[in-house]
Amino acid sequence: MARERCVIIGNGPAANAAAVALRQETSELDIMMIGEETFPHYRPHLLPAYVAGAISKEDLFVTPPSFYEKCNIRIRLGQRVVQVKLDQRELVLSHKEIVPFDALIIACGGRQRIPERLQIFEELLLTLKTPADAQRWIEGLKSAETILIVGGDLTSLSFATAIVSAGKRVTFMLDEESFWPLPLSRDLADDVKQRLTRKGVEIIEASCIKRLTRKSEDVIEVDTDTGLIASNLVGAFYGLIPNVKFLVRSGLDVERGVLVDENLRTRFDLVYAAGDCAQIYHPELRDYWVSIGYRNAMEQGKIAAQNLSGGMISIAAPPASIFCAEGVMVNTSWWMEF
Amino acid sequence: MDKTVETAAYPHNEANAQPSRTYYSTHPADLHYIGVNVPCQNACPAFTNVPAYIRCLFEDRNARSYDLNRIANLFPGVLGRICSRPCETKCRHGEPELGKSVGICHLKRSAADFGDTAVAPKQPTRNPQGKNVCIIGAGPAGLAAGYDLAIAGFQVTILEALSEAGGMLRYGIPEFRLPRDVLAKEIQWVLDHGMTLRTGVRVGRDVYLDDLLHAYDAVLMAAGCYVSKPLEVQGEDLPGVYTGLRFVMDIASGKAPSLGNNVLVIGAGFTAFDCARLALRYGASNVSICLRATEHDLRVADEEIFETKREGIKILGLMASNRIIGVDRLEAVEFLRTRPTELLPNGKRKVAPIQQSEFVVPCDTAIVAIGQGAEPLPGPGDKDRRGVIRIDTRTFRSSVPRLYGAGDYTTGPTTVIEAIASGRRAAQRIVENLAGSRTTQWAVKIEDANITDRERSWDYIQREEMPTIMPVQARMVAPTNEVDQGFSPEQTREESKRCYLCYLHYEIDMARCIYCRYCIDVAPRDCIKLVKSVVLNEVGAVVGFEETKIWRHVNAVIIDNARCIRCGECVRVCPVDCISVSKVELVQQTIPCGGTNGS
Amino acid sequence: MPTVDVTVEVCGMAGDGTIAAGAMINEALSRGGFSVLGFDSYPAEIRGFGRCVTRSRIGSETIVAMGTDTHVLISLNETEAKSRISFLAPRSVVIFENNPPTYVHHDASFVAELPPDKLLYGMPLSDLAAEAAGTPRGRNLTALGGFAAICGVSPDLFISVVESKFKTKGEKILSSNLKSFEAGYTYALREFSDKKGDAIQFPELPHNDRMVMLSGNQAIGMAALDAGLKLYFGYPITPATPIMEFLASTLPKQGGRVVQMEDEISSIGAVLGSFYAGARSMTATSGPGFSLMTELITHGVMAEIPAVIIDAQRGGPATGLPTKTEQSDLHAAVFGGPGDSARIVIAPTNVSECYHYTIKSFQLAEKYQTPVIVLTDFYLDNRVENLVMPLASEAETRNANVSPTGSEGGNYKRYQITESGISPRALPGMEGYIFTATGLEHTEKGSPDYSPEVHTAMSEKRHKKIAGALVDLPKPEVFFVEDRLDVGVIGWGSTFGSVLEAVRAVREKGCRVGALKITSLSPLHASLIQEFMERCNKTLIPELNYEGQLANLIGHLHHGSVVRLNLVTGSPFPPSLIIRKIEDLIDRGDI
Repeated sequence: MARERCVIIGNGPAANAAAVALRQETSELDIMMIGEETFPHYRPHLLPAYVAGAISKEDLFVTPPSFYEKCNIRIRLGQRVVQVKLDQRELVLSHKEIVPFDALIIACGGRQRIPERLQIFEELLLTLKTPADAQRWIEGLKSAETILIVGGDLTSLSFATAIVSAGKRVTFMLDEESFWPLPLSRDLADDVKQRLTRKGVEIIEASCIKRLTRKSEDVIEVDTDTGLIASNLVGAFYGLIPNVKFLVRSGLDVERGVLVDENLRTRFDLVYAAGDCAQIYHPELRDYWVSIGYRNAMEQGKIAAQNLSGGMISIAAPPASIFCAEGVMVNTSWWMEF
Repeated sequence: MDKTVETAAYPHNEANAQPSRTYYSTHPADLHYIGVNVPCQNACPAFTNVPAYIRCLFEDRNARSYDLNRIANLFPGVLGRICSRPCETKCRHGEPELGKSVGICHLKRSAADFGDTAVAPKQPTRNPQGKNVCIIGAGPAGLAAGYDLAIAGFQVTILEALSEAGGMLRYGIPEFRLPRDVLAKEIQWVLDHGMTLRTGVRVGRDVYLDDLLHAYDAVLMAAGCYVSKPLEVQGEDLPGVYTGLRFVMDIASGKAPSLGNNVLVIGAGFTAFDCARLALRYGASNVSICLRATEHDLRVADEEIFETKREGIKILGLMASNRIIGVDRLEAVEFLRTRPTELLPNGKRKVAPIQQSEFVVPCDTAIVAIGQGAEPLPGPGDKDRRGVIRIDTRTFRSSVPRLYGAGDYTTGPTTVIEAIASGRRAAQRIVENLAGSRTTQWAVKIEDANITDRERSWDYIQREEMPTIMPVQARMVAPTNEVDQGFSPEQTREESKRCYLCYLHYEIDMARCIYCRYCIDVAPRDCIKLVKSVVLNEVGAVVGFEETKIWRHVNAVIIDNARCIRCGECVRVCPVDCISVSKVELVQQTIPCGGTNGS
Repeated sequence: MPTVDVTVEVCGMAGDGTIAAGAMINEALSRGGFSVLGFDSYPAEIRGFGRCVTRSRIGSETIVAMGTDTHVLISLNETEAKSRISFLAPRSVVIFENNPPTYVHHDASFVAELPPDKLLYGMPLSDLAAEAAGTPRGRNLTALGGFAAICGVSPDLFISVVESKFKTKGEKILSSNLKSFEAGYTYALREFSDKKGDAIQFPELPHNDRMVMLSGNQAIGMAALDAGLKLYFGYPITPATPIMEFLASTLPKQGGRVVQMEDEISSIGAVLGSFYAGARSMTATSGPGFSLMTELITHGVMAEIPAVIIDAQRGGPATGLPTKTEQSDLHAAVFGGPGDSARIVIAPTNVSECYHYTIKSFQLAEKYQTPVIVLTDFYLDNRVENLVMPLASEAETRNANVSPTGSEGGNYKRYQITESGISPRALPGMEGYIFTATGLEHTEKGSPDYSPEVHTAMSEKRHKKIAGALVDLPKPEVFFVEDRLDVGVIGWGSTFGSVLEAVRAVREKGCRVGALKITSLSPLHASLIQEFMERCNKTLIPELNYEGQLANLIGHLHHGSVVRLNLVTGSPFPPSLIIRKIEDLIDRGDI
């Protein structure tokens, strides 16, 4: 008799925590992780340090392949889920393979957000979400002297300071999009300005970006309402949004992320979501919340796995120091660390 | 099969040089087949011959392309900008593994942009019948009905309550999506077929239904839906709260709205999006659209959602308005969080509000665009509980003889193309009832064709993007500037290459097939099948295949035209040349006076 | 400079262009300055149906054997490629179609079956080819483009191969193939830029256009032509048929003829007849055909008539395994046929030797007036190696007949007993030289005679003659000479390449191991072989046959030390098995 299969979509902190916790609960289940990236499980918050050369590639990666073998967890890298068919309990991979599942944990994380207005300039922007992005930065930084950072999110702050200590000239642009979904209040702007300037980063304030143009092979020009800025590289740090577009026709409830309750359960039997891709309705909060940060992700992965195995653990409501804007509550408990 | 051989009044594709046989059929199995073979045409409520007009654009026959559109849908320039595009949803090129659908709507606009649109009105197909018909409402349904009735030889009078014709086209859709002059020109062409338009005449105030029923041989109610659906929450009538309909109509009539800076638009339909984008153009800086469900449940096209976001409008989901807060005027709206529940077969998402999840969003303007309904009118006939006359949507009749209904007035709000189709079908019913027979009928035209000259590499051409005014700030300079610029001739040609020309039908002659299966080897997908038997429905149409992997059970090698992308590889590789190509289109035939369609 | 030793496989269904792709890889990497050894695997039905696998082992140093591991798998048909998964080395590259025409269930999926350490490079091969060239037919070239980008092979190498191959087929076909290749190359370069450096990379070597890819059969055919072959007689049999086909298209151009005979018996008869009359002739066959020839071969021995016979060995006995390789005709070649019928048997070990030994076989046959059997095998016949085009010198191809001196004074004795055993040979029609040649035992003059003295003397003469050929036969060659060896490995035929690779590998670990290549199987250089064996604590003799046929021939030379290693899997001898056996012998400590 074939074993029941739980598929975990993702290979980040939430997915790995879920896989490990699930294996601890039962040795009977066939656990399959499907990750879109070819890189092994890495620590996303260490990417800025990796780009700056402060840590090596080995320090970036968390789990060796032998670990999965030992735990009898099947991990498939570089393969992308393009469709989930909830009724048939099947998912479809981009190379047209149909994988049946009995249980599903969606932990596909977030992707870099680029505001709609700037999407046509996407080719000129460098993001930092994956080791592949990091490689591009490393290549670019070999010859670049000036770096402009637009947007503003947690990663941007540690990135800016890391690059400055690597000897590059870094300019940080605060505009109305910065620190989405938080509206950029004067206080926040001043606070960020002060902290960054102390670390050697130059600040420019503009109210919006109109256009980006490539002036030459190594110069990009950014046209704002307060003037033109030229730079070798432009980094876009506009935050993360759940990477759930592929789930829109699946039958699952998807708004910003996958809608789940405080037990990380969707409306459907044995289907859970955890990590940056989950949009949780918490009765204590009385609202939906999308969390960011690998610690939240790990905890949620673990809870989803335990609940899948029959538990009824609720995720703790986010602490009071959260941001509410645009109808979404953002848990930024890591914010305090900067 | 009901066959008629006719040297086609329909012009030949010049690429087919040899004389071809042409059949016309009205057999239900063949009509069913159009749905399988040509999904775009089948999805269009007006049965626009999509592949044909796209092929004409490829062949640089822009005027002909425009004409093919006009024959079916009457307003190509208008629809090419604002149609809801049910064809694109069904376009074969848009199937999951094949990429994005063809830009059928954008190409229709190209036909209008580049084709010679100054064409004389069509000649009437019948002599004056000596009967007169009154149409209430000069919107798309009413105008379309008027057209069919006029060329059928009837005397048509259209009564329009507002000061200009067009209905929602004129008063509901903003100019930045539909320029006034484009609309006026196409309306004028319809009117030039000989109908009397009387504007500023409101039925129920200036004239009465009973009188009209005495004066005319038939009366057609095509008054649309102009009654806004209320939120039914406390505070709805505070200053600062508008209905979406009032908002767009005021702007369309030249009245600038009084808007604050922080605008909430409540609603998920086309009107809600129009209101949000208008609000930006009339001075608001912070505009949000508030949805009860999610942005993934919207009927609005993806391109439009993208432009809306690009303009800086926020789309917020999972919020149901609960209460409008304010003392003398609007100060905020209170919402409850919602939880999605089931997805209905028609695509509509049901939601359930979550108790005790209230939250408040401050704003100074709220626009409520949650739906519209028909206005009850005094008069005879069976009415529904709101007082609106009840119309049978199959026969277009009311309980009162000679009183008909068409368009949104009978169904509730739909889309422009559905209204046009409804008006035309209602007109045919009226023609049939008053003159004894219809003037047109739909038939399937089948003729021999050559293998497509399309190249396989065209299947990989990316969908052209509609150029828009950029940067976004430039759009706001004048609120009536049309945002979409239209395809260039090069874009038109590239996009037209993407159409698979699904009117082509590929068939294997089993009498000559040698079962070598080379065709299956080269097939780009599972379009050629080894089949044990076919499944027929009650009218004899093929509705399924019983496939088999067991060689002994294989009775036929069949091209499944529902999966076929008309690439022609099978024809090229067949060693015995047993695969034929024919062209299968739904065409409208004119029925001459006397009733039957020739013999 | 980094060294590289990579095996690249292309696997597909018949009709996918698999064999063509494999051939292009061989040619391109050969032009790239690498050593290339290619061997395809065939289904039992040679054409039209079933799985095709091409394997190319590519190295910066000379490759002498086929390994079992695959480092790059190019899949043109995922259902067929599933059978190749177990041969993949760790972290090998897998290139496959990632937009197939139909959906595949997980249980049947190729991708799902691949172990997690493999490096996956999915490409929409059909789409890329269709988009670039208007048809998906060039998708095998698209896959090669991907391979070039992923593994760092210069695309110009492939482009030049495509141009050479298709330039005679018209601009349209050439352009379509080039576009298909370039589409794959560009796609892979862009899509996999993130994974740069993960996949095994080919270093840049100085390009070399002088090397050609030749198979054993081609080398044999070319040698026959260069040796001035006049007539070829044969009957088709796998794996010798390509020799006949090659000569059928080339021999007439230089005034010769190819005749397909009704069977192998008449083939050898005709060869003997031809040589008897003084014209060089040849036949090629395999085990079952060879066995039919044995009586007439002994006729050649008895009547001292030259013949050149190629025995392309395959799996036996009887019809056996037509498309599998084996080395099991040794006994038949050396001893087959009635009576004490000593003859010359030589066995090349690589393509170059196939050429040179075939050239040599004509002179040996003529000089020693005997059938010469050249033993090859399916693997050697069909594998391709890159080498400088071989060319024999005039000295190697001139007629080696020992003609009469003219001092017989009218008393010519065709079978005169001489010091060497070689009797000067007149050709029929030479004025003044009438003689009888017969398969019956005969006197010096050639008259049939059964007396005990004559038969004894003639047997001695014939055997002495053949033993004397040792001076002209290639000597056994020692690799890694040392006074004392723990293990000496002796190999013959195509197995020697595996022996050499194994011995090199074990030596790198510091073991005292050496190798001996034996190419002359009859007569044997017994003293040289014995001398080698005496220096070894153990002598290991790996062979692709069950009975240890070479071991049977030489085992008695140093009886106690011989260890046999026999394999009848039908595939080339894997060096890894020899390595394991050597290490096992050393570890066991009974050395």
